Amino acid sequence: MIKITDLEKFYRTEEVETIALNKLSIEVKKGEFVAIMGPSGCGKSTLLNILGMLDDPDEGSYVFNGVEVAHFTERKRADLRKHNIGFVFQSFNLIDELTVFENVELPLIYTGVPSAERVKRVEEVLDKMQIMHRRNHYPQQLSGGQQQRVAISRAVVNKPKLILADEPTGNLDSSNGNEVMELLTDLNEQGTTIIMVTHSEHDARYSHRIIRLLDGQTVVENIMI
Amino acid sequence: MIKNFIKTALRSLQKNKAYSSLNIFGPAIGIAIASLIFLWVEDEVNYDANNVKKDRLYIVRENQKYDTYVFTHSSTPGPLGPEIKDQLPGIANICRTSEGETSLLFARGDRSFFASGKYAESSIFSLFTLPFVQGNASSAFSQLHSIVITEKTAEKFFGTETNLIGKTIRVDNKQDYVVSGVLKDLPTNSSLQFEWLMPFKIYFDQNSYLKQWGANSLSTYVELKPGINPETVNKQLYSYVQKHEPKAISHLFLFSMNDWRLYDSFKDGKKTGGGRIEYVNLFTIIAWIILFIACINFMNLATARSEKRAREVGVRKVLGAGKGSLITQFIGEAIFMSLIAAVIAVLIVLIALPSFNTMVQKQLVIGFANPYHLLILLALTLFCGAIAGSYPSLYLSSFNPVSVLKGLKLKDSGAAIVRKGLVVLQFTASIVLIISTIIVYQQIQHVKSRQLGINKDNVVGMDVQGTMGENFNPIKQDLLNTGDVENVALADHGIIYGGNNGDGMTWPGKTPGSKVLVSNRAVTPEFMATLGLKILEGRNLTVADTVRSAHTVITQSLEKLMGNGSAIGKVLRYEGDTSTYTVVGVVNDYVYGNMYGKPDPVMFFSLAPKYAQVMYMRLNNQKGVEQALAGIQKVMKKDNPAYPFDYVFLDDQFNQMFQSEMLVSKLSRVFASLAIIISCMGLFGLAAYTAERRTKEIGIRKVLGASVAGVAGLLSKDFLILVIISSAIAFPVAYWKMSLWLKTYQYHIDIQWWVFIAAGLTAIIIALVTISFQAVKAALANPVKSLRSE
Repeated sequence: MIKITDLEKFYRTEEVETIALNKLSIEVKKGEFVAIMGPSGCGKSTLLNILGMLDDPDEGSYVFNGVEVAHFTERKRADLRKHNIGFVFQSFNLIDELTVFENVELPLIYTGVPSAERVKRVEEVLDKMQIMHRRNHYPQQLSGGQQQRVAISRAVVNKPKLILADEPTGNLDSSNGNEVMELLTDLNEQGTTIIMVTHSEHDARYSHRIIRLLDGQTVVENIMI
Repeated sequence: MIKNFIKTALRSLQKNKAYSSLNIFGPAIGIAIASLIFLWVEDEVNYDANNVKKDRLYIVRENQKYDTYVFTHSSTPGPLGPEIKDQLPGIANICRTSEGETSLLFARGDRSFFASGKYAESSIFSLFTLPFVQGNASSAFSQLHSIVITEKTAEKFFGTETNLIGKTIRVDNKQDYVVSGVLKDLPTNSSLQFEWLMPFKIYFDQNSYLKQWGANSLSTYVELKPGINPETVNKQLYSYVQKHEPKAISHLFLFSMNDWRLYDSFKDGKKTGGGRIEYVNLFTIIAWIILFIACINFMNLATARSEKRAREVGVRKVLGAGKGSLITQFIGEAIFMSLIAAVIAVLIVLIALPSFNTMVQKQLVIGFANPYHLLILLALTLFCGAIAGSYPSLYLSSFNPVSVLKGLKLKDSGAAIVRKGLVVLQFTASIVLIISTIIVYQQIQHVKSRQLGINKDNVVGMDVQGTMGENFNPIKQDLLNTGDVENVALADHGIIYGGNNGDGMTWPGKTPGSKVLVSNRAVTPEFMATLGLKILEGRNLTVADTVRSAHTVITQSLEKLMGNGSAIGKVLRYEGDTSTYTVVGVVNDYVYGNMYGKPDPVMFFSLAPKYAQVMYMRLNNQKGVEQALAGIQKVMKKDNPAYPFDYVFLDDQFNQMFQSEMLVSKLSRVFASLAIIISCMGLFGLAAYTAERRTKEIGIRKVLGASVAGVAGLLSKDFLILVIISSAIAFPVAYWKMSLWLKTYQYHIDIQWWVFIAAGLTAIIIALVTISFQAVKAALANPVKSLRSE
């Protein structure tokens, strides 16, 4: 599903040039659950942003579903992204002015799903995530765990082929964290490909494969049994 | 999607109440001011629009060429109208009327009233659009002593009586007139204004001089046939008077009704293209400036608080929102805010309209039913929203989602420069308005306190009514006996009046061919003392001069024109006439007619009281005005019982001459204040966000020992620099603009340097007060709290 080859990304300021990704090559197959680990500054988030088409690489190739997307325009990337990828963030990133229902509905609005269909699909997802009773609440009225459930609901409502999760349990206590990991595992079992950046060995164990990065390069790949 | 945007916008407004009110009230005031100005502009540009023949209607004007200038006026000879109607094929119809308005006394039963109107030919009902409520145009003037009145006059004369046709009213206690028509009231924005119309024949027969080609004392209106080019007719009119008066210096031309109100400014006999249109343009520009100032607040606050929106932008982008959809969202939000502002603006207009009407002396209505009004309001709202939303939408939609979701501090430098530029723009406009306001005020005060050559204070004027002229001596004696009046005089024209002049006067030694405009005034001997004119040489006029009428008192400027040395004993005469006038006295020059110009010379003759038109009384300044007026009223009731006591103060009449300037002065004061208020609202919001943004810095500085004053100064400094830059830009702009304005007045002030310093300081002080509230609040905050929050 994903194949990156010799990917490079630099960050330049006036004085220094930092290499975030250094000729990185990775392949992820459809239906896989991959964890990316590594110390701060190793390039995990940069990689995730490029995979999510939020950022573009300076060099190298990125083939998504058989299409080379490394140098797509912003508009094309946005289009591809909204139909194929769901995001889950550490800090949830829900919009404070919108209710739970409206937050989850947002991706469907951007993909042009008709109103009646949207209601049906949002309710379905909220039901599945067991957060239906909170549909009219605002994010600030929810606990951290509940907020992350809403964020995951939002990520999956468009039935994306790929979910990118950036430390999804980083802001949660262990019991809420476990619940979130169970949810991701369920989604993966239903066929969604998941790539997750994490610091937590515990969370990484939920994945099929761990890719360890250091200084923008792959150092080790562990296959989980 | 739109529903989602509106929801977000509404909730965001609710959540940030202070920010929202700044953002809504600024544009609301802007839209309200613009709406008021545009109502006024609409009234001005639609002047005379009630006339269906407007495009074909003209008034005949005359250019008279003198040595130093061309005098353009609308007084025409009596025989002109009928003759050009017969002779010039392009003319469909003409109408002659008396000039200005004639005030007459009307009595019905025991009630009497003064009312002003015109003598007009019956063609007036065909040229002008004057719908009849009772009676009709064809029979209106079929009888000589008939009168056509407006609905308002009908109410004044007849109260609730109906079916007025055939009813009579006594005019000037002499003659009964039959009401032959009632007209719908004239719109307030009509150049033609009257309370009544009477047949022109009455006026024409009463004044035999009107039949001469040499007397310019009537208004002549012309209706051209459809498709006729007025220039063709102008060529035929140019030397028309000369056919009858070969030596006349008058050249006629047609002046279109389309230009009467807004383009009535002539120089050297030609339209300057200026006139009231300059005020219309000026206020229109001010309306847009104020609106723009209000929009700037929105832009600045929106970009200043962009950090608060950054995460939302990031999330929306991640979820697939394109730049276009975000731009639409943010412009949509601005328009939504603008719509709320428009609703508040309508409320402000409703509340402010009565005061505004008093100020501009109009009866403007908000006119919800008028689709144009709604359209313009909508256009203003959309304009405001689009301008306000333009920059923020581009700025916010350009955020990189990766950075904002990571919570990185945004690089604000580009937006900060734009913000500073916009603040400078706001304050530049405000400071220019402040400077202009001060200079306009100074100029008006300068002219009002000008040495007029007369003493206008404590003088009361009355129209001479009934037998006041014939009984002048006993009335004068009775008035003096009250002790309330110091002196009483009669004259044939009001002292401020600028007409009744001619170029036919000549004297030995006058340059051949030279044309000098000299005004003639007939006055009783008391006139000089009553009005405060000083006899500089020779003697005053006496009653005996009335009989001989060969003696004249002249003003100083005429004496100078007549050559070196004293003019006493020198002789003047009209060209082509053998009668001579010997100068017996010289008085000082005085300002009349044009308050800004240099006065033309005047010749005074002794007036036989029975021909007087105006009576002036100098009040005893030891007595109170109320008491003096009561005393005069008692005398007038006894000596002229048939007429109500009606008077006017000379200084009020004088103030009337400055109506346009006073209007500009008052409005510019209001606009300048509002501009600075709106600018400060923006500054207040910006200061709040700057303080919030620099919370951590303030905390660290305080921990390291900075004082409250030091921190407050630090926060204020940046804004003050902007106001100082604004001043530096505003000064030359204001100087240039106001110098041009002052040049349009012959008698004007010089611009003084302190005006600029005062305006700059005012802006700085107001800005400082605005900012310091936020700055001190931030400086007083507990540093431990602010550091912990970081």
